[in-house]
Amino acid sequence: MTGRLTIFSILFGVFYLAAFYYDLALFRYYPEAGQFHLLRNDNLGVVILWYGWIATSALASAAIAFAVPRKMADRLWPGWAWIIPTAVVVGMLIYERRWFVS
Amino acid sequence: MIVVLLILHGLLAVALLGAITHQALSVLTVARATNGRWNFVDRFRGVDATAYATPIVVLFAVTAIGGALLYPQYRIDVRPALEDTQNSAANGVFEIKEHLVAIGLGLLPAYWLYWRRLHGPETAATRRYLTWLLAFFVWWSFIVGHVLNDIRGLLPS
Repeated sequence: MTGRLTIFSILFGVFYLAAFYYDLALFRYYPEAGQFHLLRNDNLGVVILWYGWIATSALASAAIAFAVPRKMADRLWPGWAWIIPTAVVVGMLIYERRWFVS
Repeated sequence: MIVVLLILHGLLAVALLGAITHQALSVLTVARATNGRWNFVDRFRGVDATAYATPIVVLFAVTAIGGALLYPQYRIDVRPALEDTQNSAANGVFEIKEHLVAIGLGLLPAYWLYWRRLHGPETAATRRYLTWLLAFFVWWSFIVGHVLNDIRGLLPS
């Protein structure tokens, strides 16, 4: 179980980065209408994608973590558990520089 | 109701900030003072770091859920006001906050596992860096949350 949980944590950040970069939200929430939708609906006001990105990442990383054979997962080097998420954070920060440059 | 939730969210964040900071400093490897006396920092660091792991996981998850419940109000009221005043840096730091919280939620299983199981020194570095990553996420989120909550008072009118 150690390896699979570690794989989940490693992949979650990677899938999250992909989900928000490529707009792969599993669902969308329109707070003004108080409605969840699977597809884009521009008539309902502002949209929140964050919940959908988290759901996409959780499902995708859980699916892969449980598909990996347990023995293979348990052989994973523990260092990846912090190195890959750190790289994801750095990538995200580089992308989000757009808010601070004119 | 939203004000009660906001205050509760802030109080939980304070508890989380204290717990993660204790743990993050406790895994620093700094040589003790030669005279053997404990100063404030030594006492702050001198905690049983393992005991903090489960409370940190619970506090992080509950605080994040509180933030998720508050988010629609932010999206409707605060963000458009920031966009109207062309305050893109404030929007940017909040965007980063939401990404860090999401990535932190995903990290919790591995973090909890490496702290709960007594792996020994071979995974000490993993525990340390996971803790520091989470500590960075929590500090960023705490400061950004408070600044944005008070931004109308902080900005010149």
